[in-house]
Amino acid sequence: MFERRLYFHVDWALAGAVLALSLMGLMQIYSATGGPTSIYVTQIYGILLGLVALLVCLAIDYRTLVDKSHFIYGGILLLLLYVLFFGAVRGGSRRWIDLGAFNLQPSEFAKAALALVLAKFFAEVRRGGLTRSDFIVAAALTAVPALVIARQPDLGTAVTLVPVCLAAAFVAGMPMRAIGILALAGMLITPVAWKFALQDYQKERISTFLDPSQDARGAGYQQIQARITVGSGGLWGKGFQKGTQGQLRFLPVAHNDFIFSVLAEERGFAGVLVALGLYLFVILRSLEAATLAKDRLGSFLVLGVLASFSFQVVYNITMSAGLAPVKGLTLPLMSYGGSSMIATLAGFGLILNVRMRRFTN
Amino acid sequence: MSLAEDRRRVTFRLQALQVGAIVVFAILGMSFWFLQVIEHKRYEELAENNHQRTLALRAPRGVLLDRSGAVLVENRHSFTISIVREHSTDLPRTIRLLSQVAGLDPKQVEQSIERHRSEPAYRPTVIVEDASLAQVAAVRARRLESELPDIVVEEVPTRRYPADALAAHLFGYVGEANDSQVAGGAAQGAIIGQQGLEKAYNDLLMGVDGARVVVVNSLGREIRTLEEVAPVEGRRLQLTIDADMQRAAEDGFRHAGFNGAALVLDPRNGEVLTYVSLPAYDPNDFAVGIERAKWAALNSDQLRPLQNRVMQGRYSPGSIFKIVVATAALEEGLVDPDFRVTCNGGATFFGRYFKCHLKGGHGSVDMRHALEKSCNVYFYTLGNMLGVDKIHKWAEKLGMVGKTGIDLPNEQDSIVPSTEWKRKRTGEKWYAGETISVSIGQGQVAVTPASLAVMISTVANGGTRVTPHVIKAVDEGNGWKPVPAPAVADRVAFRPGTLAALHDGLWLAVNGAGTAGRARLPGRDVSGKTGTAQVISIQGRQAARNSGRDLRDHGWFVFFAPKDNPEVAGVIFGEHNEHGYLGAPIAKHLIETYFAKKEGKPLPVLTPAAKPEPRDTPDPDSPPVLTDSEVAAVAGAGSLAAPPLN
Repeated sequence: MFERRLYFHVDWALAGAVLALSLMGLMQIYSATGGPTSIYVTQIYGILLGLVALLVCLAIDYRTLVDKSHFIYGGILLLLLYVLFFGAVRGGSRRWIDLGAFNLQPSEFAKAALALVLAKFFAEVRRGGLTRSDFIVAAALTAVPALVIARQPDLGTAVTLVPVCLAAAFVAGMPMRAIGILALAGMLITPVAWKFALQDYQKERISTFLDPSQDARGAGYQQIQARITVGSGGLWGKGFQKGTQGQLRFLPVAHNDFIFSVLAEERGFAGVLVALGLYLFVILRSLEAATLAKDRLGSFLVLGVLASFSFQVVYNITMSAGLAPVKGLTLPLMSYGGSSMIATLAGFGLILNVRMRRFTN
Repeated sequence: MSLAEDRRRVTFRLQALQVGAIVVFAILGMSFWFLQVIEHKRYEELAENNHQRTLALRAPRGVLLDRSGAVLVENRHSFTISIVREHSTDLPRTIRLLSQVAGLDPKQVEQSIERHRSEPAYRPTVIVEDASLAQVAAVRARRLESELPDIVVEEVPTRRYPADALAAHLFGYVGEANDSQVAGGAAQGAIIGQQGLEKAYNDLLMGVDGARVVVVNSLGREIRTLEEVAPVEGRRLQLTIDADMQRAAEDGFRHAGFNGAALVLDPRNGEVLTYVSLPAYDPNDFAVGIERAKWAALNSDQLRPLQNRVMQGRYSPGSIFKIVVATAALEEGLVDPDFRVTCNGGATFFGRYFKCHLKGGHGSVDMRHALEKSCNVYFYTLGNMLGVDKIHKWAEKLGMVGKTGIDLPNEQDSIVPSTEWKRKRTGEKWYAGETISVSIGQGQVAVTPASLAVMISTVANGGTRVTPHVIKAVDEGNGWKPVPAPAVADRVAFRPGTLAALHDGLWLAVNGAGTAGRARLPGRDVSGKTGTAQVISIQGRQAARNSGRDLRDHGWFVFFAPKDNPEVAGVIFGEHNEHGYLGAPIAKHLIETYFAKKEGKPLPVLTPAAKPEPRDTPDPDSPPVLTDSEVAAVAGAGSLAAPPLN
């Protein structure tokens, strides 16, 4: 299955950048949690398991995986439904399957599953462009898991599924007119969503984003603190484990949602540039993999996986600087979270897979 | 659509995404550049403000020692519990919890916060001064649970004054700087001297507060200390006060059973050995911020414990004033000590009959015996010869006009009338008849006990008007540096005859047939003079009988010892004790203590004495019966008889 010569086509640069980001994240977790805590150890296990997942996803030909993607998709959907009724509750939402040592978060894996199934769907549409009905099917494939995840409730993760669909459709040839209509519809739906779909706490987060000082002690607090954290880092940072904002807990969940703020505080603008550079490199290198892909299938798959990753990266980093409303969206590769790490590395397994097999039949 | 076309479109769209990614990351990079480099200073400050707290470390005030080095006033540690509003997320909850934990009335806590509302939110608002250990423990336990992030418990040095309110009016008290003091440059919330020595020497005593910069976490818990500037303790001051004499004097008053004042000086240099004003307040109450009820009670107390009688009470000097008249007559050269007057129990001046206290009269007396027996007729005669202005002149030379210049705040002027004084005050001319009453210390003479102490010191040392002062030395950090005695206010070399006559007369008053035999001490040659300060005229007394005021006369005793080369001199003022001679035992006890200490002998102990037996003979110091017109004059100056407030 894994031919020897494939080894030479592995994109080591991409793999290296991905690993480097994971290790940077691990170091910041070490700093933010104050040493080799259980959180730090868990993250190491997450990376190791993720690398295993990456190898698995790399070993099996992506075409085989895409071919069987409806099983994967269906399986994940079942897991999501299971979680909805029997999952472990933490912080008021039901997102996890308690595996004893590990809490599995199936929604993280839904992204890759959706990328696979959409790649299969769009690749099978062998017409010149996408019709409206194609798009409705793709939207439905996205909406089902998204709605289930939103019910947990985990709106953040649910929203990350949308870019998967949009990116795949975009590359699959969605007409520009459709893109325009979509953008327009989005704008029209916003006030309606504001009124009916969003929970009060979500509305509050958005309104305090627009004016953080209106609630400097409540929801606006994190945003203000995030900006202070980043800004006080300066050019070279305060040094490893020397950040006051993160270390003294002025910024909550420093090892998780706000890991990039802590990186900015302790490593300064220099560290930020390194991290941003690595992320940009990963994204561009992945886009290159999509361009080099032997078939449309491969391109769509790469785009699908890359879309949710990029979306999360950009959103989280923007939020880390206090420039976007605070949402429970983690930073892939760096934030603490075993499921996220495993799913993300598995996703890069797929991207590497597509590039590696660009010459195989 | 051909496959190639499709391929091209995919490539094109992927390129668009590449460009998009680069643009987005460039924007992110610029945003971070803006926050981390351009705006860095601002956020750095905000971050510091987040986690750094500057706590003031109150400097202990300077310790006060007595003249032989015994500690009189020192500092102890007390705890204050404060709220820092800046860190309050839920102030009403904090108030509720704190009240519950520390056992306070939530309303009063709210009021405390309301009073300090205008101050910056980072300044701790003190809720509990001198908190009990139980309160501190309870609050600290809650703080550990992070329930009260806006509460701070601070250990602060607090003044400890001697028990029994010893020398309370000398020390004064401290308190939080009031608005006008803050306007004058005091730090808000600073503890500064408000009365007495604490006020007069506040600059020396206050020291310099330190500061501790600590790192706190988001819950307000202190993590570590960044830097600490230790407070500088205030200067230690050595007082001229002798603690044993001070105690002896206050014991003497308690033993005698009346209130009053005492000021004892070293007549050679003006050092204050003893400073008593009774009743007193407890300065310790003020050290921890006096409770409103206590303050109100002190203010409304009829006995006026807040009044510093030594230099703020003005009273008629009575017969003590005869010393001034005698000095004036001798120094002006009008008479010599052998000048004799025959007393028949009274004499007529300007058509009015002025009585002596001894009905049958003293017969022919010279100066020495007139002083010994306090003969009114003798001094009426001298006063008449002198005129009021010469009396005023010599009263001033002896230190009984204006202020003594003691180094304590809020001294009252002493008043001895003169023609000019009367003209300025009332616009009327002086009537020679008024001089007659003045010559026995009646009429419009109103003086402080302090001024009498200076007067008797001047008489004792032969004419040098010393300035009373309470500071002997200052510790400037590198050992004691003596504080030079303040300049002598005036110096008159008495004629030798004057001094001998005065000293002999005053010696006889104690050791002869005089009124002050109770101050007699074998071998010490105590000299002195008693006097009575009339509170109200006999006629006025009838009228005011039911007013509830204490109308009994005050008693004076001025003294020095030994007669030749005196080392102590002073005044005992007995409030409403009716007889000046009742103050003599206090003076005796003081002088005994002074010499016992000087000679290294055991200090004398007061033994309960039998109640003073009622005397058949009238008290020679009792004011003579006045004529009707004089009653009117005294009533007009009635405000002088009652000690003026303030």
